[in-house]
Amino acid sequence: MLHIEHVSKDMGEFTLKDISLEVPQGEYVVIIGPTGAGKTILLETVAGIYQPESGRVCLRGRDITHEEPRNRNICMVYQDYMLFPHLSVHDNISFGLRNRKLEKPEIERRVEESAALLGISHLLHRCPDTLSGGEQQRAAIARAIVMEPSVLLLDEPLSALDGRTREALRKELQRLHDAMDITVLHITHNFEEVFSLADRVAVMNHGEIVQVGAPDEVFRKPNCEFIADFVGVENLFKGMCRLDNGNAVIETEALCLVSTTCSRDGEVFVSIRPEDIMVSRAKPEISAQNVFSGKVTESVDAGMVMRVVVDAGLPFVVTLTRQAYQDLDIKEGDPVYILFKAASVHVF
Amino acid sequence: MNVFRHPPLKVGTIAAGMILSAFILVLLFLIVSHPSPENLISSMFSPEIRFAIYLSLLTSVVSTALCIIIAVPAAYGLARYDFLGKSIVNTTLDMPLALPPLVAGVGLLLFFGTSPFGKALAEAGLVFVFTPLGIIIAQFFVNMPFMIRIMRSTFESISPRYEYVAKTLGCTDTQAVWRVTLPMAASGFFAGAVITWAKGIGEFGAALLLAGATRMVTETLPISLFLNMSCGKLNLAISAATILIAISIISLYVFERYGGSARF
Repeated sequence: MLHIEHVSKDMGEFTLKDISLEVPQGEYVVIIGPTGAGKTILLETVAGIYQPESGRVCLRGRDITHEEPRNRNICMVYQDYMLFPHLSVHDNISFGLRNRKLEKPEIERRVEESAALLGISHLLHRCPDTLSGGEQQRAAIARAIVMEPSVLLLDEPLSALDGRTREALRKELQRLHDAMDITVLHITHNFEEVFSLADRVAVMNHGEIVQVGAPDEVFRKPNCEFIADFVGVENLFKGMCRLDNGNAVIETEALCLVSTTCSRDGEVFVSIRPEDIMVSRAKPEISAQNVFSGKVTESVDAGMVMRVVVDAGLPFVVTLTRQAYQDLDIKEGDPVYILFKAASVHVF
Repeated sequence: MNVFRHPPLKVGTIAAGMILSAFILVLLFLIVSHPSPENLISSMFSPEIRFAIYLSLLTSVVSTALCIIIAVPAAYGLARYDFLGKSIVNTTLDMPLALPPLVAGVGLLLFFGTSPFGKALAEAGLVFVFTPLGIIIAQFFVNMPFMIRIMRSTFESISPRYEYVAKTLGCTDTQAVWRVTLPMAASGFFAGAVITWAKGIGEFGAALLLAGATRMVTETLPISLFLNMSCGKLNLAISAATILIAISIISLYVFERYGGSARF
């Protein structure tokens, strides 16, 4: 269990303000946030590189706030690998074990074991600068996990890699985490990593953790406009909320939306995720509470899906599968109906 | 002439560079070719030049070692930490570069000859005025900025995150520097040492004022060149010059070849 309690640190350009986070043993926490939010400083403070000005860091019940990094058993992997260029891959991986003055056969056994785990056994004699980015990052991860750390800190470990390597290494991280029951804090800008790796996601901004929760919860129910913006929530509208026997009616500038997630009156933001909106050419028979007629103003190929914008007084972004898009047979200018559940209208 | 293929700007600027390098080569050639080869060889093996070579090597190696011992930690501190007055310290450490060596020599002479500290050292047996020790101190004082500048830029080019990783892997602060940063700084270190050594061998002005120019006592290669030139022993003077030229060429080559990203 890792406890970060009210940790503050002012580094001038970067700050941490009263950060508190509890990470149970074996949990995988992904930290997201804009550049300069203090994510790396947070990890480096947990590692002991920086001393917090106030607050505590506890690991497995022990206060390690003022403990030297080398006595914490917390390992760190950076985006640009930080492999020691003057040492072979083998000597990079064994670096920490040699510091621990382990017996040579034990060192060899563990180096080979973790190299095998990351599929780099054949690279052990090589110099880091002769390896590809993916191989270097595997070596850097091996160098960390060979220490059997209590906490593994990953600072954008996959960001410097190309798409396919990133995908492969992401699965590898998932497998390692499952196999080793290791506590992980992982910084990323990539939302796919959030959804595929995170047990929980923490969003940071201006040195503060603004929301922590399951990825689904944070992405579907951002607790402030910043997160909604940051995680790219579409269909973000402003309106006045009026409670009306159980349901809330939100009057936006053009439409009244019905929501089941609002519990207060007054000015609110609402968001509806594009995949929660259905499109129909005929007026729907079902009695969904939010049905609006509009016109297709834009349809864009977004790779896996089609992104369609329907102007129904407000511009609604809708994502449709290719199949659904073809079945609907719509093009720009066509009149359509859009409908979505009151539960999908998220208010914050 | 096709003005597009030979634009005046290109022709003019390249010509300037080529004329300059031709000028330098002509000078070097004139020096080396002035005496007959037999005279040059026999002068080089004369007791006086052999003494000068020996004294130059000894003083320059010792002063380079001193530079390394003091400049490497200082450069590390300046590269890694922020502290009050850092820019003043930085500028001050660069001062000897801009200062004429003769002026540095006057300062050193006053310090070791007249200050209570210098007198105390002399009483303890460390006499710097008109001795080879003075040559070492003069070389150290004038060349230390080269070592500091090269090492500072080398350390600045190495991300502190290497040390962070080393510390999470069980190193103390000092071990992290010793086992990771210093090996990574090897090429800059090597380049700095070579340049400092080569500058040390050629040091004249400050050494002249502090250690004097006494034949067979404080006679390094440049001092030998000066002494023999002033009393007309051209062969001896030129053999000293030839050795200095050879050292310059070799050290420049080593610096460019193995210096990596180190700059000063």
